[in-house]
Amino acid sequence: MCLENFSSQVVERHNKPEVEVRSSKELLLSTVVISRNEKERVLIEGSINSLRISISVKQADEIEKILCHKFMRFMMMRAENFIVLRRKAVADYDISFLITNVHTEQMYKHKLVDFIIHFMEEIDKEISEMKLAVNSRARISAEEFLKQF
Amino acid sequence: MILLEINNRIVEETLTLKFQNAMAGMKPDSVDITVADFDGVLYHMSNPSGDKTKIQVSIALKFYKDLQEHGADDLIQRVYGSHLTDPEPGYNISLLFDLENLPSNQEEVIKKVGLLKRNCFASVFEKYFDFQTQGTSGHKRAIIHYREDETMYVDAMKDRVTVIFSTVFKDDDDVIIGKVFMQEFKEGRRRYQQAPQVLFTHKEPPLELKNTDARVGDNIGYITFVLFPRHTSAEARDNTINLIHTLRNYLHYHIKCSKAYIHSRMRAKTSDFLKVLNRARPEQKTLEKKTFSGRTFKQR
Amino acid sequence: MTEAHSFGVIPITCHAWNGDKTQLALSPNNHEVHIYKKTGSQWTLEHTLEEHTQRVTGIDWAVQSNRLVTCGADRNAYVWTFANGEWKPTLVILRINRAATCVKWSPLENKFAVGSGARLISVCYFEEENDWWVSKHIKKPIRSTVTCIDWHPNNILLAAGSSDFKTRVFSAYIKEVEAKPEATCWGKKMTFNNIMAEFSNGGGGWVHDVSFSSSGEKLLWVSHNSSISVVNAAVDIQEVHTSRTEFLPFVTCLWLTENSFVVAGNDCCPVVFSCDGTGNISFCAKLDDAKKVTNTKFTAMDHFRSMDKLGSSSEDNITKLGTTHQNTITQVSVYKGTKANCSVFTTTAVDGQLVNWDVKSLESSIAGLRIC
Repeated sequence: MCLENFSSQVVERHNKPEVEVRSSKELLLSTVVISRNEKERVLIEGSINSLRISISVKQADEIEKILCHKFMRFMMMRAENFIVLRRKAVADYDISFLITNVHTEQMYKHKLVDFIIHFMEEIDKEISEMKLAVNSRARISAEEFLKQF
Repeated sequence: MILLEINNRIVEETLTLKFQNAMAGMKPDSVDITVADFDGVLYHMSNPSGDKTKIQVSIALKFYKDLQEHGADDLIQRVYGSHLTDPEPGYNISLLFDLENLPSNQEEVIKKVGLLKRNCFASVFEKYFDFQTQGTSGHKRAIIHYREDETMYVDAMKDRVTVIFSTVFKDDDDVIIGKVFMQEFKEGRRRYQQAPQVLFTHKEPPLELKNTDARVGDNIGYITFVLFPRHTSAEARDNTINLIHTLRNYLHYHIKCSKAYIHSRMRAKTSDFLKVLNRARPEQKTLEKKTFSGRTFKQR
Repeated sequence: MTEAHSFGVIPITCHAWNGDKTQLALSPNNHEVHIYKKTGSQWTLEHTLEEHTQRVTGIDWAVQSNRLVTCGADRNAYVWTFANGEWKPTLVILRINRAATCVKWSPLENKFAVGSGARLISVCYFEEENDWWVSKHIKKPIRSTVTCIDWHPNNILLAAGSSDFKTRVFSAYIKEVEAKPEATCWGKKMTFNNIMAEFSNGGGGWVHDVSFSSSGEKLLWVSHNSSISVVNAAVDIQEVHTSRTEFLPFVTCLWLTENSFVVAGNDCCPVVFSCDGTGNISFCAKLDDAKKVTNTKFTAMDHFRSMDKLGSSSEDNITKLGTTHQNTITQVSVYKGTKANCSVFTTTAVDGQLVNWDVKSLESSIAGLRIC
């Protein structure tokens, strides 16, 4: 997350996140994938003035999949509040953050790191809790219905 | 409110109010209310030909024709008898009440009116329950298109009655949540032995419906109830009908509730995340800015 | 020991001191250059220079001739002269079509060099006949944006770091304005644009800053792979001494004496290293001891406000770092002394702070810090 303000060297008077425009190979860092298994992995792509962190969340079954999908979509629709959230996830991942030099200038770097970590910790927890909630609701309503017979 | 009410509360409450007013000797008001209910059912309460002393309650069911085939008229006649009148144009059944000549068993009547829709459905079930008790088989399966693209099939055999609902999930996510619910219905039955057997198939109709025009598709689910004699016996019959005919609405209602719950949770979590992100921002921003625009700065 | 001044929360991208260190030019991460004057312990804004149309990327103050040069992302550079109480800009024709990234006066202040995203360095000098700054380009073999430059004390050689992972030494001899230079340990042939040396520290990483030592024999640079490299041309021009450090990448470096230097960057803390005669680098000390920040004031209002905004009360959530700077340090410059014998140096950072570091008193307070 060590970024600097870097004007485009390809297009005149432009200043774009290099990790997105990918105009010059030498300005990109090699990507890092950290994975626990096939499903849960994090992709970190760095460049001179921007950084992209993509997270693939555990999705054991269909219900977790839709919960995750819904949750991510919900957040991405609110990307402007999140500032560092990318509006669209990188292919094969569920959610992406795009951190540029502007963000590191405005915010404390170490706290941004804290945020990403907090996010990753919470997201799994939240999805499994939501799944449990749906399941228990289903159970209770089914029982109530059948009890009536 | 886990279970849905089978009666129509608005209709009941309006009628109660009107009847009470009439009893208290107040001048009757004009009434013109249109009420919607599940399964595209419409109620209409009005004063026929402007006569304020009369109240007409009409119901429109899109699939009344299907029901008529199975003796709905007879059942309605049996239950409502004297209150029946010629159906209002655009509606299937109309009931008429004279406020100046109120029936003595008001509450019972009001209740009956509220159950108008349920009673329409009941005819089909009663017919097939009868088939089963009598042990006759080999008759045609009843097909009720209770919604535009959703159908109910009722069939009777010697030892059971099968009721199959086809239901459409508008959203892909609903299919999956629906599956979870249906799974629980299946499992719930193990704990409640008195409950009928429930089967759930997704995409393809169950074997019973083979060679019919039953729809096949990604977002279609079929729910099969196998009702045994203990459900179709004369005493249990009414209860069974009450439950079965609201099943579809019950299921969808709870799917929607779940989604709403998930949504509110997501909202809470999102704002929680935002708060964590806020921690990354330098504090006292406004305070510092003031000194900045003042072109002076503090020495710490 | 250390003296911190806050200029708001807006990042300070670059700064420069005037000759007697009473005035300071800095850019608050936008198109403006602010000139502050020190009166007592207070800083007052004297002038705001608004000529650039985009972010200012570099400022340098010619201390003897009292001129400023600034360059910006708008591809322009201006030379500012102070007359009748105001700063007057003169546009310099850089002939570049990408953002300028850095600018430095040559030691004799008759030339300056501008690095740019157009993969070239413009060396500018004043043409008397035309009353005009003209530029000459150093192009080959730079393959990416020039991120930093530094002049050799002989006024001829120019070191440049670039985001193609390389550091190069060029000759910026301009025969129109100066006498033929004498040979140095970096080589004899000094026609303009001649590449005297090219270095790579092996690992790659964008070069963030370069610095010649006061003798001009040693060249120091820091790159994005957290490494520090030194070449001593007097001993062996081919041998690059590289030290990979455990810190986050450094973005700026400065010689304090002939044998020791300070580097600073993303770790928010300046670090002093020393190098021996051949150029081997050894770690000296971190200049900022990371002490735990304790919240002195506690009010109920703050408590609830942070509960609302941050989702937790402030006790378990210390936002402040233990270091003086709270964000990446962007530039280090000499405040008192010279590169050969610097007693106080200045750092500016993204957190909007300017800090003066007194080397002598730091030396006595930090064990293991010996600057020679």
